[in-house]
Amino acid sequence: MSLVPSELSSKLSIAVSAADFAPAPHQAQRERIVRPSLSYWQDVWQRLCKNRRALSSLYIVIALLVFTLVGPWLWTQAPALQDLDAISQGPSWSSSSALVVEDPGTWPGVQGALRPREEADGQTLGATASLAVAGLPSTQYVRLYWEAVNGAQHYLIYRNDHAPESNQDLGLPLGATLTPDTLSFEDRLQLRPQTYWYSVIASDGFEEAALSTTAAITLQRAITASQARERGLDDTLGAAVALPAHPFGTDYLGRDLLARVMEGARVSLFIGIVAPLLFVSLGIIYGGIAGYFGGNLDILMMRVVDFVIALPFLLFMILFRIGFGIGPGESGIIPMLLALVLLSWPDTARLIRGQILQIRGEAYVQAARVLGAHPLYLIFRHLVPNTLGPILVTLTFAIPMAIFTEAFLSFIGMGVSPPTSSWGSLSNEGIRTMLSSPHELLFPAFFISLTVLAFNLLGDGLRDALDSRLRSRE
Amino acid sequence: MAMLRYLLKRLGVGLFTIWFIATATFTVMHLVPGNPLANERGTNATIRANLERQYGLDKPVFEQYLIYMSNMLHGDFGIAFSEENRSVNDIIREHFPVSATLGVLSLCFATVGGVLWGALAALYRNRLPDALIMFLVILGISVPSFVFAAFSQLFILKLNQWSGRSILPVAGWEGVSSMLMPALVLGLSTMAYMTRLMRSSMLDVANTDYLRTARAKGLSPTRIFFRHQLRNAILPVITVLGPAIAIITTGGFVVESVFAIPGLGRYFVQAVAQLDYTVIMGTTVFFGAFLVLMVIAVDILYGFIDPRIRLGAV
Amino acid sequence: MNSTQYVLEVDNLAVEFDTYGGVVQAVRDVSFKLRKGKTLAIVGESGCGKSVTVQSLMGLIPMPPGRITRGSARLGGDELLHIAPAALNAIRGKRIGMIFQDPMSALNPTMSIGAQIAETLVVHRGMTASAARTEVLELLHLTQIPEPEQRLNQYPFECSGGMLQRAMIAMSIACKPEVLIADEPTTALDVTIQAQILLLLKQLQQSHGLSIILITHDLGVVAHMAHDVAVMYAGQVVESAPVDDLFYRPAHPYTLGLRAALPGNDPQKQRLQIIPGSPPDLFAPPPACAFADRCPHTMRLCRSAAPATYTRPPPPASQASTNSAHEARCWLHHPQAPSSPVRSSAAT
Repeated sequence: MSLVPSELSSKLSIAVSAADFAPAPHQAQRERIVRPSLSYWQDVWQRLCKNRRALSSLYIVIALLVFTLVGPWLWTQAPALQDLDAISQGPSWSSSSALVVEDPGTWPGVQGALRPREEADGQTLGATASLAVAGLPSTQYVRLYWEAVNGAQHYLIYRNDHAPESNQDLGLPLGATLTPDTLSFEDRLQLRPQTYWYSVIASDGFEEAALSTTAAITLQRAITASQARERGLDDTLGAAVALPAHPFGTDYLGRDLLARVMEGARVSLFIGIVAPLLFVSLGIIYGGIAGYFGGNLDILMMRVVDFVIALPFLLFMILFRIGFGIGPGESGIIPMLLALVLLSWPDTARLIRGQILQIRGEAYVQAARVLGAHPLYLIFRHLVPNTLGPILVTLTFAIPMAIFTEAFLSFIGMGVSPPTSSWGSLSNEGIRTMLSSPHELLFPAFFISLTVLAFNLLGDGLRDALDSRLRSRE
Repeated sequence: MAMLRYLLKRLGVGLFTIWFIATATFTVMHLVPGNPLANERGTNATIRANLERQYGLDKPVFEQYLIYMSNMLHGDFGIAFSEENRSVNDIIREHFPVSATLGVLSLCFATVGGVLWGALAALYRNRLPDALIMFLVILGISVPSFVFAAFSQLFILKLNQWSGRSILPVAGWEGVSSMLMPALVLGLSTMAYMTRLMRSSMLDVANTDYLRTARAKGLSPTRIFFRHQLRNAILPVITVLGPAIAIITTGGFVVESVFAIPGLGRYFVQAVAQLDYTVIMGTTVFFGAFLVLMVIAVDILYGFIDPRIRLGAV
Repeated sequence: MNSTQYVLEVDNLAVEFDTYGGVVQAVRDVSFKLRKGKTLAIVGESGCGKSVTVQSLMGLIPMPPGRITRGSARLGGDELLHIAPAALNAIRGKRIGMIFQDPMSALNPTMSIGAQIAETLVVHRGMTASAARTEVLELLHLTQIPEPEQRLNQYPFECSGGMLQRAMIAMSIACKPEVLIADEPTTALDVTIQAQILLLLKQLQQSHGLSIILITHDLGVVAHMAHDVAVMYAGQVVESAPVDDLFYRPAHPYTLGLRAALPGNDPQKQRLQIIPGSPPDLFAPPPACAFADRCPHTMRLCRSAAPATYTRPPPPASQASTNSAHEARCWLHHPQAPSSPVRSSAAT
C-alpha cells in the first residue's frame, strides 16, 4: 500500500535520510516533577507573600504592635499629664519653648479713685485714655490695666482675634469689673501664643459707652513656676524652657494625643486580640465536641448556638456591662472581654462543627478509621491540620470585629470607663471638639481604621491563599 | 402547603427564640446582687420601698421573672423609671417609627447601592472603575460609622457655610432632607459589604455553565446581563439582608446620637446612661424580637424569589 | 469533491490561553470539515483541546485569558472568527446550536425551562411570548420529553438530567440551525439515558437534516453516531477519517492505542491495554511529534521534525466519491519509513 503526502505537507518538504527512520533510543519517561514539592503551609505562605496587599497588611500589623508595645519607651510623655495652656493644639512636630512666669493670682491689680461723672461731659461716657499690660503678656495670663473713665460704674473687657471694626465686633466678652474703682483685669481664658485685640469699654451701670479702647497684644508661650517644678523643669522666673512637641496635637485637657493614642492602642489591641483568641478557642472546643460526638448531643449543642446567635449582639454587650456593674476606679476592660467571649463564640463553633463533620465524612478519614486508627491519631493527624486554615482565617477576621465592637461601645460611652482610654473613647472625646479641632477625632479614628483595614486585608489574603491551595488540590 | 408548614415551623422556632432573648435579658439584668434602685441617689428608705413595691422588686427573683414574662406576653413592657407614668410601650411607640424610617431608608441605600456598585465593579473587573469601587469598599468596611457620621456633619456644615444657605440640616429630624445624610452614613458599611458580595457573586455567575449556554444561544450582552447574570447574582445579597437589618438597627444607636435624631436607639443609649432598667429591658426584648421576625421575613422573601426554595427543593 | 457539500470548514485554528504559569497552547493548528447532514466526532482524552476548539468557534472562550491566534472557520461561506459581537450573536443559537456536558448546570436555575427555550425563539425569530410558547411545546414533544406541558413551567431542579438534556436539545434546535455542536452530551448521564439521548440526536439528524459536531472521549459513542472522525491529541488533529476507516484501518499510533485500550469482549484478555505516559505539557509543547514519547514506533525523525500530514487512499471497496479523506499526521507514513501496524491495510 502506498501513501502520498497531502498537499499541505508536500509544501514543507524536509530533507530526510535513512538514519532518520531508525528506531529512536527509548527516552526516559518525560514525566518528572518540575516544581519542588512544598508542604501545605509552605505553599500557603508563598501564596500569601505573592499577595502584595496581604503582605503590606502584615507589615502594618507588625508596625502597629511595635507602636503599641515599644512606643511608650520611645515617646516618654505621660498620657495623663494635663496642660491646660496647650488645650486642643493642632499637630506639630516642632517643640516650643516657653518662658517661666510667676504663678497666677499673685497680682493685686490696679485700683483707682472713683471719678464722678462731670456735668460737662453730658450724657455720654468716654473711652479710657490708655490700655496697657502689666508685666509680660503670656499664655498664662494677660494683665490689663487702664485709666479710669469719668462716671464709669464698671468696665467690660472683650477679646478678639482680629482688629475690631466697630463696637459690635469686639469679640469674646471676657468679663466685667465689679466695682468702679477696679481698673485692671487678668485674662486667663484659653490663651494661645498669638496676637489678641483687647477692648475695654466703660459702663455706667445701665448702658455701655459709645467708645471703646482697643490694644493689640501679642502673647508669649509661658508656663508658671509651679508647673515647671511639677515637670522637673527649671523654675527660675524668666528662664526659657523647652516644651515637648505634640506630633498628634493635644486633647481638650492639653494631654499629648500621641501618648494617649499609644495608651489607647494597648487597650484596643488587648481587647481586639485577646478576646478573639478566647472566643475562637471556646468555639473550637464547643464545635469540636459537637462535631466529633454528633448525634443528639450535637443537635442539643447546636440549638444553644442558634439561640445565642439570635441575641442582638451590641445590645447584649451593653446589657452585660450593666449586669457586671463597673465600680469606681475599674477600667471595664475585663467585663467587656467577658461579654465579647460570651456572645461571640457561636460563629466559630458552627464553623468548626461543620468542618469536622465534613472531614469525618472524607474517604481518607474513613479509610484511616477502617484501618483501625486511634481516635487521637485521627484528631491530630487529620482533623486538626485540616481545620487549622479556616480557624486562622476566622481569627484574623474576628480581630477587626472585636476592635470595632470595642470602639463602638466606648464611643457611645458603654465601653472602657475613664481615665482608661481606648481608641473608641478617644474618638468619643474627640467628636465633642470636632468642629474646632478635628485632629482629636482624626487620629484615634485613623488608627481604628488602619488596624481594621490591615486585619481585614490580611484575612482576605489568608483566605485566598488557603482557598486556592484547596482548589488546586481538587 | 410545604410553604405553609415551613412558615409555621419558622414562626414556632422564632417565638421560642424571642422567649430565650427575654429570659437572657432578665437574667443579665438581675446578675448584680441588690436591685436597680440601690444606686438611685437622693431617695430615702420609704420612697425606695414604695418604688420597689411599685416595680415589684420586693418579691423573690423567680416571681419577678414570672410577672415580667406574663406582662410581656400581654405586650406590656412596664413603666419607665426615669420618666414618671410613662410606659415603655409609649416610648417605643413614639421613637421606634423614627428608627424604622431611618433604617428602611438606609437599607434601601445599602441594597440598591451595593447591587449597583457590585455589578459595576464586576462588569469592569480588574479595570479602573473596579479598583476605585473596591478601594471605597475597603474604606467603608474599615472606617467606623461614627467617624463617617462626624465627618459628614462637618461636611454639611462647610457646605452650608460655603453656599451661604442651609442645603442640608446638620442634625435633627425634620423632613426628608434631614434623613438623607444619616441614612447614607448608617447604610455605608452595609453597602460596602453588599458591594463586595455582589461583585464576587456576579463573577461566580459569570463563570457558570448556564451563562455560557446563554451566550451560546446568541443573546445580546444586555439581555444576558439583566435576565441571567444579575438575577442570579442578587440571590446571595438577599440572604444577607437579615444580618444587614441587625447591623443597621444597632448601628442606628451611634448615628442617631451623633445626628440628634429622636429614635429608639438614641433613647436606649440615654436609658443606659440613666440605668433605666425597664426601658433597657423593654427595648432589648423589642429589638431582639424585631430582628428575629425580620430574619424570618427575609427568609420568606428569599423563598419567593428563588424557585428552588419556593418549591421546597431545599 | 464539491465544496458546497461542507457546512462548516475550519482551517488552521490555533488558540492560546494566558495563565499564571505561562501561555497554554490549547489548540495548535486544527483543521476539519463538517459534511452536510452528517456527524463529525471529535475524539480525544481530557485536555486535548477538543472543547476549546468548538467553544472558540462559538466565541465562548473567555477573551482576556484566551486568544485565537490563527485560523479561520466558515459556516456556509460566512466567517465565524474575529467578527463583530452582534454578527456572532446573529449566528449563535440561530445557525449553530450547542448542547453541553452537564445539563443540570447548563440551564439557568431561576428560570423555568419553557422560558429558557422560548428566549431563543423570541430573540432570533422575533416571536411573541404566546407564539413562542406553542412552539416550545412542539419542540418539547419533538424531543420526546415525558409530559411536555408540565415541563414548560418547571424549573431545572425539578427535572432529571435526561429530561434537562432533552430540553437543552429542544433549545438548541429551536431555530432550525445548520450545525449542532454537542460537547460531550452524554458524559454526565446514566448509561441508559445516554443511549436514549444519542438515539434522539440521530433521529433529529434524519428528520431535520442536522449536521452535528459531536465531542466525546467515548469510542463506543463514535462508532454509533459518527460518519467522520477527527482524533485530537495535544491540541492537534492527528488523524481524521470516515468512521469505518478509522476503526478498521487506524493510521496513527495514538488511534491504535486508543482502540487497543477499549474493553473488548475477549475473555482471554484479562488486562486492559494502556497507553504509557501522559500527554505533553501544553505550556511548552514538544517541537516535533507530540506523541513521540508515548509511541511504540518512535523514530529519530519523530523527535526532530513535526510530522507531515499524509492522505491515505480509500480502500478499493468503499464508495470513494462520497467519503471524506483519510489523513494522518505521522512520519510512519513516509515512503522511507519502516513498515508498522499503521501502514498495514488490515490492522490487527
